[in-house]
Amino acid sequence: MIQKHLFSTRTISKDFIEQIFSLASKIESNPELFSDKCKGKILATLFFEPSTRTRLSFESAMLRLGGQILGFTSAKESSAVKGESIADTLRMINYYSHIAVIRHYIEGVGEIAKNFASIPVISGGTGSQEHPTQALLDLYSIKKEFKEIDNLNIGVMGDLLYGRTIPSLLFALTKYNNINLHLIAPPALRLRKNVALRLKENGFRYNTEENLKDIITELDVLYMTRIQKERFPDPVDYERLKGVYQISTEDIKNAKDRFIILHPLPRVDEIDYAIDKTKHSRYFEQALNGVWIRMALILIYLGLD
Amino acid sequence: MSESNDKLIVTKIQDGTVIDRIPPGKALKILEILGIDSNYPYTVALAMRVASRKMKLKDVVKIRGRALTPQDTQKLSFIAPTATVNIIVDYKVQEKQNLKIPDHVEDFVDCINPNCVSNSHEPIVSSFDVVSKDPLILRCVYCDRLLEQKYLNREL
Repeated sequence: MIQKHLFSTRTISKDFIEQIFSLASKIESNPELFSDKCKGKILATLFFEPSTRTRLSFESAMLRLGGQILGFTSAKESSAVKGESIADTLRMINYYSHIAVIRHYIEGVGEIAKNFASIPVISGGTGSQEHPTQALLDLYSIKKEFKEIDNLNIGVMGDLLYGRTIPSLLFALTKYNNINLHLIAPPALRLRKNVALRLKENGFRYNTEENLKDIITELDVLYMTRIQKERFPDPVDYERLKGVYQISTEDIKNAKDRFIILHPLPRVDEIDYAIDKTKHSRYFEQALNGVWIRMALILIYLGLD
Repeated sequence: MSESNDKLIVTKIQDGTVIDRIPPGKALKILEILGIDSNYPYTVALAMRVASRKMKLKDVVKIRGRALTPQDTQKLSFIAPTATVNIIVDYKVQEKQNLKIPDHVEDFVDCINPNCVSNSHEPIVSSFDVVSKDPLILRCVYCDRLLEQKYLNREL
């Protein structure tokens, strides 16, 4: 049985993840077949923080399914500026739509949804806590490339402290076998203690590195992330750490032939534009995969799959 | 309260609570948590660092006219896990409770994460799972952040 809402990859099963991938794959191979599955259904996009890909791909997903969309794109456009609680916002959205996506800088919104939302609510990212649909499309992109996720050598690099895609990706990876995971970050940007504890509780082991060059020849996948400027409590720390990791074609010249680079985007300066043209870049295809994954999620959470 | 021949004699209270076997030095903190200050209208006896057969040294607090709420005992369990709470009615111990750190606590302390939903204006109370009792570590049910002993010592 699926949970009513989706706010974490930690609490969903591998079977459920594979069910999402299977449906996403069917949709990708013939989107037309699904073009009126959501006729008469409304998706609300409640974005209290800026978004390009997540909101547009959810909206594109719903429109491709024949449904309709409504919502707002910043907290300023909602009654949050008047002091309305998230609980009351969700109570209202129950009346206006059949399914909702919420992005918020406040962490723990999932528990509010559990208590106050009667329609399915999917996280579009919560603070630096999690971004579960991003992790699903990340893994889908890896699976499309390598057929299996088990036994891969995966490097995750950049801002592991504030990046919300990181906990979701790692929690999802714990469900697969024999993942050789390398976490590459400066000491100041390593995993939060609570995320590390969750991994430990799952018996999931990983290697901590500081330099990509030490492991580049081993990797099948490099998951690159942006230093999350907006989440640093002290701008001085950001200034000190920005640009700490920038990869160029030189840095990946010894990589395996089938090595790929993913990035949840947006990127700032961490991946040189010259890499875009190499056989290793997959981050734009990855963004397209977000549409298939989100179409599958809308169908599953509406019970229309 | 008087001390003679190494024996501490504290007058019995008619009705109230005796908290015994408090780790030495924590009695003042316990009174603070229970909201007992100079304005409290009844007798309060406090003994610090007295000899104890089981603990070598202990603190003891006797409070007339005050019963503890479940939330009080929960807080005490984190500060003084060795303590026993005796409920006194008509000079007699009516009930004796051994404190035990629970597996879950609510509305107990604020989450360390300023961006946690439990710190914003929502119709919920803070809620934590106890992931370790020694050292004490709590995990927020909402944002998953850990509250460690250092923070709790400051906040409790």
